[in-house]
Amino acid sequence: MEERGGAVRAQALILALAVPAAQACELPGGPTQKLQSAAHTILYRAAPALSVGEHFALELAVCPAPSELRVDAWMPDHRHGMNYRPSIRALGGGRYRAEGLLFHMPGRWEFLFELRAPGGSERFAHAVRVE
Amino acid sequence: MKRALVLVLAALAPAALAFTEAETRAIAAHGPWPPAFAPDPSNRASGNNDAIELGERLFFERRLSANGEHSCSRCHVPERNWTDGEARALGLERVDRNTPSLSNVRVQRWFGWDGAHDSLWAQSIRPLLDPRELGLSAAQVAALVRGDADLSCRYRKVFGGIPAQDEAVLVGVAKALAAFQETLMSARTAFDEFRDALVKGDAAGVAKYPEAAQRGLKIFVGKGACNVCHLGPAFTNGEFHDSGIPFFIDQGRVDPGRHAGIQKLRASPFNLLGLYNDDAQRSTATGTRHVRLEHRNFGEFRTPSLRNLALTAPYMHNGRLATLRDVVNHYSTISPDRLHADGEAILRPLQLSERGTLDLVAFLETLSDGGGRYARRPFAEDCR
Repeated sequence: MEERGGAVRAQALILALAVPAAQACELPGGPTQKLQSAAHTILYRAAPALSVGEHFALELAVCPAPSELRVDAWMPDHRHGMNYRPSIRALGGGRYRAEGLLFHMPGRWEFLFELRAPGGSERFAHAVRVE
Repeated sequence: MKRALVLVLAALAPAALAFTEAETRAIAAHGPWPPAFAPDPSNRASGNNDAIELGERLFFERRLSANGEHSCSRCHVPERNWTDGEARALGLERVDRNTPSLSNVRVQRWFGWDGAHDSLWAQSIRPLLDPRELGLSAAQVAALVRGDADLSCRYRKVFGGIPAQDEAVLVGVAKALAAFQETLMSARTAFDEFRDALVKGDAAGVAKYPEAAQRGLKIFVGKGACNVCHLGPAFTNGEFHDSGIPFFIDQGRVDPGRHAGIQKLRASPFNLLGLYNDDAQRSTATGTRHVRLEHRNFGEFRTPSLRNLALTAPYMHNGRLATLRDVVNHYSTISPDRLHADGEAILRPLQLSERGTLDLVAFLETLSDGGGRYARRPFAEDCR
């Protein structure tokens, strides 16, 4: 999986880059990707590892925990999303599991994370390449 | 003399083209073949020899049709690579779609052109009950099993007994049919030999592959980007696309494809979320649980495997294209205006030259094993 920085698609979109966390935010169990804004940190990893044509889940930690988390993905170059709508399970303590994702084509995909919190909403995007 | 002979043979042999690292990686992703067998956890009869034998009997059983003259093998003809050569299948009546081959059917995620079923056994129920295909009811299927000494003996052997509910008997019949169909795998092909040789760095093995096929393969994984949808060892992503084939059936009738397929899947009592799934964990039901219905699904059809493609003409969901050359020409000249305005932006005309077209066809032809490998196994006369 080749990682790329997130692409800005709208004013509300936060550019997602691999930068050091401003506050302690952990997701034990292996290497993670980290996305960060002034208000939130997201750590995530795919389980099993990303591959084309296979269902996978995302394990996430969001700090501080939002009131709602949405996860999706799309292929900007192809102008289509996934054929599946992920379900999100809150595990407590800002941990989540998103299930039912599947990348049905090789190429550049973009994960979309939407956080809803009392202070407003934030959207993160993070591009990955799968072959 | 010996050396001269070797040189002559070398001159006659096809040349090996140079493949880049990216091309080699893309080609390697189309193997290895065949895949290892993994039983279907939703079907407790999967991989069971008695079930395979029962399923094979049922597959050719003409009493499994309303007129007593048809069977699954009417449309899925073994000598035609498990399809029928018709543009649109003919059961008790003409139906709307082309008969998909059963070769390698067990590796699919979704079944049918519209993916209305999420398991091979659920898919096997559909033609039994469809009034245009075999035209039976669950009660008729159950009555046949209960009333025939041999079938009922074999059914009990596989499932331990015959359920009181007709629908449950029907599901058992479908699970035995699925167990048989899981055995219908295509053999290795010229492409597989080439792919393995390329991965191993076996130059002599690579050079045995026809040069035109090598050029066609370069188009397939390069300019054509055919492997964006026809990916992996089975040459399919198992998903659904609008490929620009008109979805009008007759005047005033359209085939909604995947859009209706998802709705049928969700409404089916036989889907993997239902009570007939033998896997308490529902481990293969992830797709069913999460599948997303969108407007763009209208007119989308499942990406078929390309293995044994040369044996399955005519092509596309409605058999509209007669030959492989017609298929290549379709993608070579496709008009983006024919595709959904809100659909995916993947297809664009390949604009292949005559030689490019022939090369791509030459490559596609090497994905076939020649067919003709199936022979009905001899059965013990009596079931005890």
